[in-house]
Amino acid sequence: MRASDRTASVATGIAAAVLFGFVLLPILAIFLRVPPSTLVDQLHSRVALDALLVSLRSTLIALVIIVVLGTPTAYLLGTRRFRGAGVLTTVLELPLVLPPAVAGIGLFAAFGRFGLLGGVLRAFGVQIPFTEAAVVMALAFVALPFYSRQAVAAFASMDHELLAASRTLGAGQARTFFRVALPLARQGLYAGAALAWARALGEFGATILFAGSLQGRTQTLPLAIYDQFLGGNIDRALAVSALLVVVSAGLLVGVRVLVRKGSGDWPSWHRSSRSSSLIG
Amino acid sequence: MRKALSFSFFIVLLMAACSESSASGTRLTVLAASSLKNVLPEIGTLFTEEHAGVTLSFSFGGTGQLAAQIQQGAPADVFAGASTKYGDQLASAGLIDPYESFCTNRLVLVVPSSNPAGITALLDLSTKPAKVVVGSESVPIGTYTRAVLENLNGLFGPGYSEAVLGRVVSNEDSATSIITKVESGEADAGFVYVTDALAAGPKVQSIPLPSEAQAVVIYPIAAVRASKNATKARQLVEFVLTAPAQQLLEQAGFGPPPVP
Repeated sequence: MRASDRTASVATGIAAAVLFGFVLLPILAIFLRVPPSTLVDQLHSRVALDALLVSLRSTLIALVIIVVLGTPTAYLLGTRRFRGAGVLTTVLELPLVLPPAVAGIGLFAAFGRFGLLGGVLRAFGVQIPFTEAAVVMALAFVALPFYSRQAVAAFASMDHELLAASRTLGAGQARTFFRVALPLARQGLYAGAALAWARALGEFGATILFAGSLQGRTQTLPLAIYDQFLGGNIDRALAVSALLVVVSAGLLVGVRVLVRKGSGDWPSWHRSSRSSSLIG
Repeated sequence: MRKALSFSFFIVLLMAACSESSASGTRLTVLAASSLKNVLPEIGTLFTEEHAGVTLSFSFGGTGQLAAQIQQGAPADVFAGASTKYGDQLASAGLIDPYESFCTNRLVLVVPSSNPAGITALLDLSTKPAKVVVGSESVPIGTYTRAVLENLNGLFGPGYSEAVLGRVVSNEDSATSIITKVESGEADAGFVYVTDALAAGPKVQSIPLPSEAQAVVIYPIAAVRASKNATKARQLVEFVLTAPAQQLLEQAGFGPPPVP
């Protein structure tokens, strides 16, 4: 090994060590600062429990909306070539680069009582700000690109001849989508959904602006952490943070397992036998 | 290798640039309650005019949050809160000097100038459907609001505060965000400090509270014990009690310090 090579690998090692330390230390610190018994106590506190429920409910609803609307849109953008497709893809990615506070203000300006659609909504007796619907909208807005990006990429990288074959063999468009495209893109879709869910769980800025913060209704876990911190209750803020870390990490691990399992039982021969069974 | 060296040199330079100590003069960091956002920088300007070489940087936030920052050892020179509760906490922990009470404040109910819910009196809050925003219990404006509502029970009957709190759609992190939501008309009513209502001007209508229901809002100020510029920090604290500073506070709607 040449001296310069050795220097390079030492430097790489140091870089990696610094990086892992930087990511892991704050997470470890949360758990080291809160004794496990306190953590369990906090789980029984009304604030933490309410925030957990609001978080789980609102993120799941947001995720369903993202997947139901995002999947066909991503399919269109990933499989068809048409003018403006690039622009549309960029629009879907916009929330990714917008600061969440901008998202919150934008939602107010559009769906607030005096927003662009405020009059129309009021005519139907609907007021969105400060409701759980507002939480879901803020989460969906901010988390959407995390799913759509992955989904577009997954659909674009499919073997398009399989789609063509499916159509040639007489499967309709819907059947091709559900029986061929979805199974083929499955892993990318799972990964995207996991990322979007994780992002939604951590959402703060857009939510607090557009939905406010009310325990049991609009106060999600990150909002509860902020509120506890505001009051100087560092211990409780840390405990709720630990809860959020556990939930998010559990989610990440769960999806990893799911994706790995998915890749195991979809060998290529199986895939083709599936698509040929379409005509049966 | 040389590149790596010059890169690390660059990093060191960057860190030096980020650290506090400027080559010339003193920089004082003031941690102050959000409700002081409009007036304290003005007082600061007067102070720096008299003290050449001193620059002030302000960090505004919830008083509890500021207290927590001081407890965690955040670099700060002066603490100016909106509640003596946290002043007492910090002082008894020896983290700040014994504090001076430098001004007082009162609460008021504000509604948007368009007044969509038709709230014209305090009693309307418990009888008309309205979206009410208040401060979170974690911030002083929230605890004061709850104290005021308790006091109003004596006037309007025991169910009043419960009825009003039942109409709360958001517990906000500061009086500033309460008034923003009322100003924009997204919320129908909110309890803020009179100083916030004054700063908002004609965008809100104020409904005053009877004096017997008012909360006692006292603002403590003190130098932080861990300050590296303790002398200047104490000078700033004293300056806030002088006539020119008190005049600015009065113009902003704050009351005089309590008579001891």
